[in-house]
Amino acid sequence: MSTMLKITNLHATVAGKEILKGLDLELEAGEVHAIMGPNGAGKSTLGNVLAGREGYEVTAGEVLYYGKNLLELEPEERACEGVFLAFQYPVEIPGVNNTYFLRAALNAKRKYRGEEALDSVAFLRLVREKLKILHIGDELLHRAVNEGFSGGEKKRNEIFQMAVLEPTLAILDETDSGLDIDALKTVAEGVNRLRSKDRGMIVVTHYQRLLDYIVPDKVHVLADGKLVATGGAELALKLEEQGYAWLEDGGIASLEAEAATQAANP
Amino acid sequence: MSELSVQLAASLPDNSAVRPEWLKTLRETGAAQFRAYGLPTRKSEAWKYTALGSLERTGVRLPGAAESTAVDGATAAPLADSGLRLNMLDGQVLAQTGEPADGLTVLPLADALRFGVDGLQALLESLAEDNPKTVRGQGFSALNSATLEAGAVIHVKAGTDAGKVALLWSTTPAEQPLLFNSRICVILEEGAKLELLEQFQSADDNANTSNVVLQAEVAEKAEFRHIRFQQESDNAGLVTRTEVSQHAASTYDYYGFDLGGGLVRHDLHTALRGSGAVSALNGAYLLDGNRHVDNHAKVDHHAPGGTSHQYFRGVAGGRGRAVFNTAVCVHPGADGTEARQSNANILLSARAEIDTKPELEIYADEVVASHGATVGQLDEKAVFYLRSRGLSEHEARQMLTTAFCRSVSEKLPDAALAEVISQRMMAVMPQSE
Repeated sequence: MSTMLKITNLHATVAGKEILKGLDLELEAGEVHAIMGPNGAGKSTLGNVLAGREGYEVTAGEVLYYGKNLLELEPEERACEGVFLAFQYPVEIPGVNNTYFLRAALNAKRKYRGEEALDSVAFLRLVREKLKILHIGDELLHRAVNEGFSGGEKKRNEIFQMAVLEPTLAILDETDSGLDIDALKTVAEGVNRLRSKDRGMIVVTHYQRLLDYIVPDKVHVLADGKLVATGGAELALKLEEQGYAWLEDGGIASLEAEAATQAANP
Repeated sequence: MSELSVQLAASLPDNSAVRPEWLKTLRETGAAQFRAYGLPTRKSEAWKYTALGSLERTGVRLPGAAESTAVDGATAAPLADSGLRLNMLDGQVLAQTGEPADGLTVLPLADALRFGVDGLQALLESLAEDNPKTVRGQGFSALNSATLEAGAVIHVKAGTDAGKVALLWSTTPAEQPLLFNSRICVILEEGAKLELLEQFQSADDNANTSNVVLQAEVAEKAEFRHIRFQQESDNAGLVTRTEVSQHAASTYDYYGFDLGGGLVRHDLHTALRGSGAVSALNGAYLLDGNRHVDNHAKVDHHAPGGTSHQYFRGVAGGRGRAVFNTAVCVHPGADGTEARQSNANILLSARAEIDTKPELEIYADEVVASHGATVGQLDEKAVFYLRSRGLSEHEARQMLTTAFCRSVSEKLPDAALAEVISQRMMAVMPQSE
């Protein structure tokens, strides 16, 4: 089976400024990778480039998704192919009902795959099932998309959309930012329930604490537009202890060495 | 005066045999004003953005005696269950369907003028324009008064709920486009209630113009809900004026929807004359092609403790041109007034144009007032969010413009009617270019 996601030497600019400077990453189905790094390292840029947001220009490198060039697809084609970005700042859309929106999105995806549209009864059945799996109530269904939602509700809504749209590759962009510990746990539990052998996930986060609840298969450190270290879940703890300051103190080599040791003796 | 105004002035009816005397005076005053000023021109401030070129080109004229007696015509079905229904063909009551509720009287205007209806004379006379500054812009009303006869009177007795009444407006297509004048008088006595749906529709080839003036007297504690929905043909003209006079603790709620029409102008004015009166004016206008829709909404607060809210949303694509003017005047003595105005517009095409202007004048104390007018594009962040979930760019934009307009229809208390109007709006939603 081919690699789900293979990013090679990815360079990207935002408003003329180079943010990603040669990023390499491989993700297999069933894996959860965490990407950590200081502010401004390019964490959110990676998610936005993968989702196809305008204004993020790829200047070099390639992104293969099951061997297909992801970068030449429109954002909606990527979504229909199974890519999902959980936004750091989910957008409020007044006047568009959450359930209506989600059904339209799911049916767009089904149409792309040549499947019948779900009628509202079948859709609601699916929604109930997903809410049950995620252990969340249905109060978000009746409101306009993200409008007036608290930070926690917005993130929960992202996870709920993910559950309904069943992506193959999910990128969670700082899903933990702005959440208190209870909201964080709810969101993390939701993510854990959506882990499966067919699904790959990239969890982008600034803080280690999310990884107490979502235990990743691999942790990458992103600094200045590149992955500078890769290791197991322990790497996250190390970062928590030492902060990101060591990046500037030339501590990369030591961490890389440590990561290599861990990889050799898992 | 334009050639068209001269021609129309020459074809005004002879008023010498008109009785009663006050009606003759009204008609003659209208005729004299029209002869003096004609149809409004862009020199008048209120018509700065709206030219009548399309009417002048088609050479619209007043119907002759024979043409004004409408006998037949297909009228569109009402948008929703409407209670009493009046088919208004060529400005006249053609047929009435349904039984009026207790306390409700509905009459063709000509009959009401002949038999007399409580409050009718005073109401008709209240329209007379004597402000030398604005009289020039009132040519359509002058013409309407000069030809005063077609139309209807809706009268609701004190303390009764008249339920719903629908006016289904249409005109008979003519080779030479005609200009139909009609007057609707609504009289709500103390504590009376009425929901009036006005629906204007015409077939594609229809190039007539309707000039309808609606006057309403809303007595103390009376409640008037007014829904105006127009989906005229791209060639048709629709000039309407709504004049509402509100007394203490009365309510006037307006919901306007402009989905069609070649040249559309609506002047909406409510005067809060009694204390504690409440008015909510809501509207959506959607236009593309070469359509021109001009809405002027004005609220005058004359008495203390009044509340007015204006909420208008517009979308223009193609070469559509929307004009929106919202004005509030809080007169001396109208202390404790709350007045809010909100107008937001979305431009979907570089060739479309929206001119919006809020006006606010305050001459009283302890007034809470706010106003905002914006013209912008769709929120690209929202477009991307929807696309990132699988919707095509077209679907995403459609969903956002529809939601923008639905924010108006969803204010309707009747959810079924709101849904029907929302669907109609979706069907004609201008496209992004």
